[in-house]
Amino acid sequence: MHRIIVGAAALLFAALGWAQTETGATQFGGQARLQWIGQQASGSGPLAQANALQGGIVDLPVGTALLETELRASGHGLSSVLTLQQQRSDGGASQSRAWVNELYAAHGAGAWQFSAGKKIVAWDVGYGFRPNDMIQQEQRRTLLSSTLEGRPLLMAEHFDASTAWSWVWVNPTASNDASGAAEPALALRLYQRDGAVDWHGFARIGAHSGASVGAAASWVASDALELHGSLRTGAGLQKLLLGGTWTDQNQLSLLTEAWWDGSAISMLRRNLYLRLSWQHDAWQPALDMLYTPADQGRILTASLTWQGDRVQVQGGLRSYGGPANAVLMQLPVSAMAYIAGTWTF
Amino acid sequence: MKTFRFTLAAATALIALAAQAQDVAALLKATDKYRMSADNLQVETQINVVNADGTPDKERRYKVFAQAKRQSLVLMQSPAEAGQKVLMLGDDFWLLMPNSQRPLRITPMQKLLGDASTGDVATMSWAEDYTGKLVGEEPCDDSGAAAKQTCVHLSLSASRKGVTYQRIELWIGKSRNEPVRADLYVLSDKLAKQARFVMDKPSAPTMVTEMVLSDQVSNHKTTHVRYLSRKERQVPPEWLNPMFLVRNPPLE
Repeated sequence: MHRIIVGAAALLFAALGWAQTETGATQFGGQARLQWIGQQASGSGPLAQANALQGGIVDLPVGTALLETELRASGHGLSSVLTLQQQRSDGGASQSRAWVNELYAAHGAGAWQFSAGKKIVAWDVGYGFRPNDMIQQEQRRTLLSSTLEGRPLLMAEHFDASTAWSWVWVNPTASNDASGAAEPALALRLYQRDGAVDWHGFARIGAHSGASVGAAASWVASDALELHGSLRTGAGLQKLLLGGTWTDQNQLSLLTEAWWDGSAISMLRRNLYLRLSWQHDAWQPALDMLYTPADQGRILTASLTWQGDRVQVQGGLRSYGGPANAVLMQLPVSAMAYIAGTWTF
Repeated sequence: MKTFRFTLAAATALIALAAQAQDVAALLKATDKYRMSADNLQVETQINVVNADGTPDKERRYKVFAQAKRQSLVLMQSPAEAGQKVLMLGDDFWLLMPNSQRPLRITPMQKLLGDASTGDVATMSWAEDYTGKLVGEEPCDDSGAAAKQTCVHLSLSASRKGVTYQRIELWIGKSRNEPVRADLYVLSDKLAKQARFVMDKPSAPTMVTEMVLSDQVSNHKTTHVRYLSRKERQVPPEWLNPMFLVRNPPLE
């Protein structure tokens, strides 16, 4: 399978390269990232208890080093993103993988745009949580962000100066039994710009999860303050997010979000997220905290990013805390550290 | 009789003020023509940042679609920022990152990023954003050749929210109204940058070829904003829709 994917991508890149010689309209690019993540196993929780009873019964978290190369090509109505990854864990095991993040054809006819293939489609307005992320359903607040893997879909869109309509049939060939982000579904989004406010309306009908509707808005309330909110209901779930970002003249920025996630387990439904960051020349230090009031669990992350012309270096620490019975304290990892260097070409 | 005299004096003062405001607006429009030679433009811009000790810091390339009604689309083209876009529609701003499929609504404060803020690159006119008063005639500069020339000194105040600078002290050529230099003040009335404008032909200027910004607050770096080319171009309306831009369409 690995060889087939790489072969298909290589053929596509070659085809686009041939097309470039014909018209010169193709664009190539990419990035290479070398990263290391260290993990500290938790001393509490079911995994630690099982290991205490019988050493080696479960695999404890280990550190991993990773080399990831992302290749991008687009032109002549085709776009693709391919990732090649080599991973080596502290235990000595190594593996290589390759996957296609995006591979789709797009065609424009005036105000209409059509897309077919594997594509990343991200909706909604939140940072830490997105109730109306109806297509991509991505994991948020990852330690290191990387390019997502798109979903198979057919999409039609219509644009004018201040309005956008999007109709999506996602996972059209998947089985009706598939769930979550793999579930076949029809989804609609309407976007309307109205001065300082961006309005969004959403609807989704899943093959077996049923119908849900949502709305979201982002409002620039003053020179320094942006407020946003998002709500989704139906298909047996309720999700709500309220948040805002305040930025001062010195580029000190505070993001605050609170949300209710009706699809999470009871202790993790209410969440509070704070992120303080400062942009100073090429440096950006940041501190963030996710707090779950029901069991007083928390995740603290400190990070530092340096951005050069083609090179970015980032590093950070994340720790999980709270009372012994907090859900976050049952995770196999109690702390993580990372460092990554990215070269863009 | 006293009331009549007071009313007459007040009316005269108001008429004088209105006339002066009209004069300043006309002067600003004339000055704007040296950077914004048409209502809708495509401008290729290069930025070179130089450290306080004279060593080069960084270079950036931008393609700017400066359109009528205070609408601008900035495409970042240097490797460090490739694929990033900033859309400005009047007082409203969006940041579009190449790896994100969502436009990020940003506040005017978040727009003030970098040594030359996006506002410095995208904003090419003053007449629609500022009102002002005529301070008087002064030497164009304290030293050098410009000291011998006479400038008109205008004091400008922002008439809209969301502009990069709240107050601008602007000196323009007396006979041709070309921009010569400016002191740029942020919201707290702190002098943030000093600007100097380089013209194509100093004796008979037709356009600004370079704006040199000296940081007065933090790092004392100098930023050279060079306008490499300008051509008249009106972009399709959907190019100014943030949801269209997240598709990463070819914008050539």
